[in-house]
Amino acid sequence: MTVAVFVLLLLGAVPIALVLALTAVVYIQVSGNNVLFESYPQQLFGAIESYGLLAIPLFMLAGELMNEGGVTRRLIDLARLLVGGFRGGLAYINLVANMMMAAIIGSAASQIAIMSRAMVPAMEREGYSRSYGAAITAAGGLLSPIIPPSMLFVLFGVMAQVPIAEMFIAGILPGLLLGFSFFLAIAVVGLVQQYPKGRWPSRAEAKRSLAMGLPALAIPLIIIGGILLGLATPTESAALASLAALLLGRFLYGDLRFAMLPTVLKRTAVNAGLVIMLIAAAGVFGWVIIYERLPQMAAAWIAALTTDPFLFLLLLIGVLLLVGMIIDGIAALILVVPILLPIATQQFGISPYQFGVVVCLTLVLGLLTPPVGAGLYIASSMTGAPPMRIFRSLLPFLLASLVTLVLLAWQPWLTTGLIGR
Amino acid sequence: MLSRLSDRLARLEEIAAAALAAAVTLLILVNVAFRAAGSPLYWISELAIYAMIWMTFLIAGAVLKRRQGIAVTLVADALPGFAHRLLMALVDLVVLVFAVLLLWLCWRWYQPLALARLDFDVRAFQGETFNFIYAENTSTLGIKKFWVWLIVPWFALSLTFHGLVNLGSALRGLRDPAEAPRPPEASP
Repeated sequence: MTVAVFVLLLLGAVPIALVLALTAVVYIQVSGNNVLFESYPQQLFGAIESYGLLAIPLFMLAGELMNEGGVTRRLIDLARLLVGGFRGGLAYINLVANMMMAAIIGSAASQIAIMSRAMVPAMEREGYSRSYGAAITAAGGLLSPIIPPSMLFVLFGVMAQVPIAEMFIAGILPGLLLGFSFFLAIAVVGLVQQYPKGRWPSRAEAKRSLAMGLPALAIPLIIIGGILLGLATPTESAALASLAALLLGRFLYGDLRFAMLPTVLKRTAVNAGLVIMLIAAAGVFGWVIIYERLPQMAAAWIAALTTDPFLFLLLLIGVLLLVGMIIDGIAALILVVPILLPIATQQFGISPYQFGVVVCLTLVLGLLTPPVGAGLYIASSMTGAPPMRIFRSLLPFLLASLVTLVLLAWQPWLTTGLIGR
Repeated sequence: MLSRLSDRLARLEEIAAAALAAAVTLLILVNVAFRAAGSPLYWISELAIYAMIWMTFLIAGAVLKRRQGIAVTLVADALPGFAHRLLMALVDLVVLVFAVLLLWLCWRWYQPLALARLDFDVRAFQGETFNFIYAENTSTLGIKKFWVWLIVPWFALSLTFHGLVNLGSALRGLRDPAEAPRPPEASP
C-alpha cells in the first residue's frame, strides 16, 4: 500500500518533497502507529535543524554573486593563459575554467547554465560545432559536485553524519582524476576530429588577465584553504566567499550593482529552499524506511548477490545510473543514502567517504542522460543545440566518467587517502 | 480576487525569504568576525539555523503555489492535452490535501482551544493534555521553542490558501483550455 502510493505520486508529477511527506502519512495511517502523528510537524522542522545545511544557501549565494559580478569571465581569461595554445585550446580552457568554477559553485545545474552562456558562443566563433561546445561545458559541470565545495557533499555529510569538511577533502583527488580523464577525452577526440588550433594570448593580454584574474582566484582559495586548514567551517567559508564575491564584483570589476541584490537573494532563497524542503520531507519519510526495515531487506537481497565490496559498489553504480536517469540527483541522494549507507559501511566495511563520493558522482551523471537529464536540457536551452546531438558529443566524456567511477570504487585510497582514515 | 491575493501573498513570502537569506549570510559573517576577535557569540548559530528554516518554509509556499517544485514529469509530459490538464489538476488536489492534513496536525500539536480554555495556564494545560509543546526551550536564544515552530502552521495555512486557488484555476482550465494554468518556465 505504502509503496503503491509512493510510486503513484512520484510518477504522477507530484512535487517530490510532498511525495515523501505524504508517503509517511499513509504509512503511519496504515501501520496504526498513530502516535507518530503527534510529532509529525515537529519532525518536519527538526529534520532541517542542522548547522551543516546553512552551507547550502551560502554557497548558492556565492555562486550567484560570482556570476553577476563578472568573476566567472575573469576566471575564463585566466584559464586561457594556462592551456589556450594547445590544439583544441578552447576546449581545454572550458574545462580548466569549469574546474575553477567547480571550486566555487556547488551545483552542477547552475554551473552548466552559467558556463554554457559564457563559453559556447566563443567556441562556436573559433570553429567548434555548437553541440560539441555544449557537450564539453555540460561535462565540465560534472566536476562541480565532486570538486569541493559541493552541494551534494553537504547533503551527504548531513545525512551520513560525517564532517562536511572531511567530505570535501575526500573529493579533491577524485575531482582531479575526473578532470584529468576529461583532458584525455578531449585530446583523443581532438586528434580524431582535428580541432581548431588554439593560440596563446599576447604578452599584454596575459598581463591583463593575470591582474584581473588573480583576485578572482582568491575566492576558491578562501573556500578550500579555509576548510583544509581548519580555519573555518564550510558554512563560514561559504559566507566569506559570498562577501569576497560581492566586494570583487562591486568594487574591482564593477559588474555588480547593489540594486541587483534583491533578485540574487530571491534566486538563492528559491534554489536553496527547494533543496532544504526536500530534506525536511525526507526527515519524516525516514520513519517509513526505519519502521519498514527497508535497509535490512535490501541488505539481505544484496548479500545474496555478492560479499565483495568492489562488486557491491559496481552494482550500486549500475542501479544508481538507472535511478539518476529518472530522478533528480539531490532527491535520489535523499532516497538512497538512508537505505544503502548502513549496508555499505556495516556489511561491506566501505568507508562512508568512498561511498559518498561514488554515489554523488554516479547520481550526477544522470543529470546528463535522457530522459530526465536536467543538465542536458539546460545546456540545450542555453545554447540552442538539440539535446540528442549534445548527448552524442557527450559520450566520450560519459565513458571517461564511468572509468573514473570504476577506479574510485576499486581503490578506496583515492577518496580516503587525504583524510587519513 | 482570491487569486490576486494569493499572488500577492506569494510575492510577500518571496521577499521575506530573500531577506532571511541575507540575514543568514550576515549572521554567519558576524559570527566569523566575533570568533576572530576571540569572543564567539554562541546564540548566533542557532539564530542563523532558524532563519534558514523560516526561509525554507516561506519560500516553499511560494514555490508550490507557482508549481515549481522538483517533480518527476516523465509521465505528465507524455500525456496529451486534456489528460495532461487532468493530471495537473490532480496534483493540485494532492497539494491541497497535504496542506489541509498538515494544518490539522499542527492544530493537534498546538491545541490552541484547550490552552485558551485553561486561561493560557501552561502548567494546567500540560497536566490535562500531556502535551509539552509550550515547555520546550531553545538551546541558546532564551525563548520558548513553540515560537520558532510557528512557521510550520503558517506554512500549512498559506499552502492551504494557495492550494485552493490553484485547484480552482486548474478546474476552470479543465473546461476551458485557455484558462489552464501555464506550465512554469524552466528555471535552471
